[in-house]
Amino acid sequence: MIPEELLFTDQHEWARVEGNIATVGISDYAQNALGDITFVELPAVGENLDKGDEACAIESAKAAASIYAPLGGKVLEVNSDLEDDPGLINSEPYARGWIYKIEPSDPAQTGSLMGAGKYEEFLAAQEDH
Amino acid sequence: MSSKTPLYDRHVSLGGRVVDFAGWELPVQYEGVLAEHRHCRGSAVVFDTSHMGQFLISGPEAAGQLNRIGTQNAGTMPPGACRYGFLLNEDGGVIDDTILMRLGVDEFLLVVNAGPSAGDLLWLGEHLGGAVEITDRSSDGWGKIDLQGPLSARVLQAMVNIDLRTMGYYKVARGECCGRQCIVSRTGYTGELGYEIMAPGADLRVIFDELLARDEVKPAGLGARDSLRLEMGYPLCGHELSADHNPVEAGLGAFLEPCRDFIGSPAVDALKDIPGPRKLIAFRAESRRRANPGDDILWDGQIVGAVTSGAFSPSLEISIGMGYVRSPLSEPGRRLVVNTARGELPVTVSRKPLYRDGTCRTRHPL
Repeated sequence: MIPEELLFTDQHEWARVEGNIATVGISDYAQNALGDITFVELPAVGENLDKGDEACAIESAKAAASIYAPLGGKVLEVNSDLEDDPGLINSEPYARGWIYKIEPSDPAQTGSLMGAGKYEEFLAAQEDH
Repeated sequence: MSSKTPLYDRHVSLGGRVVDFAGWELPVQYEGVLAEHRHCRGSAVVFDTSHMGQFLISGPEAAGQLNRIGTQNAGTMPPGACRYGFLLNEDGGVIDDTILMRLGVDEFLLVVNAGPSAGDLLWLGEHLGGAVEITDRSSDGWGKIDLQGPLSARVLQAMVNIDLRTMGYYKVARGECCGRQCIVSRTGYTGELGYEIMAPGADLRVIFDELLARDEVKPAGLGARDSLRLEMGYPLCGHELSADHNPVEAGLGAFLEPCRDFIGSPAVDALKDIPGPRKLIAFRAESRRRANPGDDILWDGQIVGAVTSGAFSPSLEISIGMGYVRSPLSEPGRRLVVNTARGELPVTVSRKPLYRDGTCRTRHPL
């Protein structure tokens, strides 16, 4: 089940906006496609990211992927638990597998993201191809 | 167009993620690379290795002819023996690494890698003379599975009419498994106790299903196969071994008997006497970040080599790899830096195997 409050990009990142903080991670679909995640290169706290910038990189036992910023803003915090246990992204992609938190620079950017229902439709359409 | 092995339908029904590997549709994983890797170290897994070439080489002159073309001294192998070695070019470069199995006085099985297999067959045809017949078992519908893991003998003993207690490392026998004629060798490429089972496709499917019916056994894919071999420091043809690399610089000179006459022997004999400019190393990184083939290896800011393989090691929980570096920098303990696409990765040259608890040589398989 996809948590209803999340917003998604078509690159399978999610953002959870609470007040002026957005938490970012990757979707269950993305973690499943990557397979066992073995390394996460976290962004630097204090770094300013524009929407669409490469925020960090993930390596799995069989692939590597770039994670793009779903929203622009300043990085406030990173999930340092992922340094020793990157598999949290596989086991809990929407909870303990979060990657970083930012202070969004432009709240209007959320308008370009998909809600949970629309993301599910997007995934279903991808499966058909 | 990729080829399908006799077990292709099994991979699909088991939920394997099928990819193209050397022209074959094979699973990179089923449940997950890490779980499959750990299951091999702790219990037993089965791999479909039907993509590998199996050449039956027979005739009264088979041993003498094989002696001349491969590095294995076939004439000194008793029936039932297996030996690791190489097909070399005239310069001593590696065409392929192989396992030669002596099934009978006049009958050998040469097991080769999938990628070079077609070329190997042509090369054998060109160089094998005399009264020798070559049969390509893999194109006759034969396949191979590798059962690997400390519990593999316990599982397999219930299914075969071969006494696995007395079957040593690198031994081979004909027998029956699940009532089907097959060839069983105590070999593999994981570092664990294990067996390779070769049989016609229809029989192999029965054996594969029977193995998976056992609680101890899970299927494993190419991903785990690669991380398992890398933890042991075993070379992979196309990565550590190629026409540009000879067995001496790959640290495999012990598999070359001196004063023997085979294709490439003058070149490798000469190499044994002079230290070569580069050597193959294994390394442990200081983080989980992966080194990738082709990444430069640096020392004191200078490029001194290149990575040939890299993976996250599930057993050591750190990134590991292999690569060629300038010989004086190859001693264990030397600290080097791998220049990955995303940043520098400090590594330490380490003795092989990187994983030291492998069970492959156990004297008590049961």
